[in-house]
Amino acid sequence: MLWELSIIELEGIYTAYEGDDKPIIKDLTLNIDRGEYVVIGGPNSAGKTTLLESINGLVKITHGRAAVCGFDVRRSGHDVRKKVGYVVQNFYFDPFTPFNTQQVVMMGRYGRLGLLKRPIEEDYKAAERAIRMVGIEDLAQKTIGTLSGGQQQKVMIAHNLAKEPEVLLLDEPFSNLDFSAREFLQAILLDLVKGGTPIVIVSHAFDGLPDIRIHLVVMNEGRITKDICCPARAVEDIVRKSSLRQ
Amino acid sequence: MLEPLIANNVVCHAVEAMVFASIACSILGVVISRMNLASIGFTMSHAAFAGASIGMFLEMNAQMAAIAFSVGVAALIGPISDKAKMAADATLGVLFALCMAVAIFLISYMQYLGKGLSASSLLFGDVISLYREEIYALAAVSLLTIIFVLLFYKEICAIMFNMKIAQASGMRVQVVYYILLFIIALSVALCLNIVGGLLIFVWLVTPASIASQFCFDVKSMFIAAPLVALLVSAFGVWAGFEYTLPIAPLVALLLTGTFGLAVMLSTKRKVTTRRH
Ligand SMILES: Nc1ncnc2c1ncn2[C@@H]1O[C@H](COP(=O)(O)OP(=O)(O)O)[C@@H](O)[C@H]1O
Ligand SMILES: [Mg+2]
Repeated sequence: MLWELSIIELEGIYTAYEGDDKPIIKDLTLNIDRGEYVVIGGPNSAGKTTLLESINGLVKITHGRAAVCGFDVRRSGHDVRKKVGYVVQNFYFDPFTPFNTQQVVMMGRYGRLGLLKRPIEEDYKAAERAIRMVGIEDLAQKTIGTLSGGQQQKVMIAHNLAKEPEVLLLDEPFSNLDFSAREFLQAILLDLVKGGTPIVIVSHAFDGLPDIRIHLVVMNEGRITKDICCPARAVEDIVRKSSLRQ
Repeated sequence: MLEPLIANNVVCHAVEAMVFASIACSILGVVISRMNLASIGFTMSHAAFAGASIGMFLEMNAQMAAIAFSVGVAALIGPISDKAKMAADATLGVLFALCMAVAIFLISYMQYLGKGLSASSLLFGDVISLYREEIYALAAVSLLTIIFVLLFYKEICAIMFNMKIAQASGMRVQVVYYILLFIIALSVALCLNIVGGLLIFVWLVTPASIASQFCFDVKSMFIAAPLVALLVSAFGVWAGFEYTLPIAPLVALLLTGTFGLAVMLSTKRKVTTRRH
């Protein structure tokens, strides 16, 4: 039965950062189904990152209804975050960070495990698989802080793949990646989508989109200005036009 | 506890106190120094100091008051940062100033009243006149710290890596973070009159820094830091009694000296120079 429900259902939500009165996201409604490839576009500070963090409950939803993976985000944020992968936009790991790639990827399993539980065989296998999928076997024993920006980006993607999420949110994951790395990542994302896992990606790079129907969401000033399904090649044009109009 | 090994009771208690204080503080230090929250230790020690002076002013048990006050301040850190929209460091600065003001106010006022409060053991530490109960409490808190790290090892690693990413993964990091603050408050308050409010910082920061010179991963840091602290402080207490030197400052100097030595001998340095 669950298959017939949308995996992400937002209905008239408002979100505000802790200590702020003014909402960043205003009266936003959005449905995302299994197997969808969702692209979120829009100008800087439109609220794209805030939307992703409302979906997994990192930012507080003050009004409205939000259900993700069958959980009420406002009440069961932890349960949502256990099932939702999230590749954050800006991260910086200093060179002295005492964790290597393998350990960081493994941490992707920790949320699912829960308090007081130790990783078991299955978790190590999932981490190994994720490392292989992203093709960073050679970095497994390297300290995360000594990797290049693009390599760190790949590690964070592997961290989220190890989680085996029901939805994957990615915030500008291509910003540090070269052309071949982008193609490689797009292929991984396409595989996920084909397997039924929806992905929601905030991006400004539309050229490498896979040739499937894209669920395009354009945002401006905390609201959705466009919410349509279109072929990949139309995305760039639509985003540009709806940005010009403002 | 070490009576069979060390004949002199006072020396024995001093060694025990210093060793337990070192274990608790250095393990917590590994977490604290990685989280860029060095000022937590600083603020807590002054909170304990303020609490102790309140206790003396009210003619209550100073140690209990110190524990209560620093746990109270620990409980304020999170909510204040959230509500006032400040970086945790700024919050700590404000709380630190408050604690100092309370302590100095009461100490000055008591001197004015002629109550003659001696703040010197709170500031500089005193390992000579300890009660047996204090040593049991210290043993308990270092055990508590070890158990905390063993139980929540995976959450602690995730927090040390990156708080935001840990939260996004669905871990209950907030709970673990609050327990951590509570244990820091407890340890600092208990260690206050052993190593002194002015020096406690050395115990929180230096052993972890020494360990970080040689260790590449967290597990070995959690073992190396308390080991180094334990050895240096036990030696320091012995040397202090042998040559009649003030013990807590001596151990602090020895720890800092060890840190200097560690920097010179650092394996990390050798690795990096070889690589270039
Ligand atoms: N932690 C925060 N606290 C308060 N306001 C924030 C925070 N992060 C972002 N904002 C505000 O929210 C708005 C939307 O930001 P964001 O979602 O990051 O935009 P985008 O990702 O589309 O560039 C901006 O006006 C920004 O100033
Ligand atoms: Mg953004």
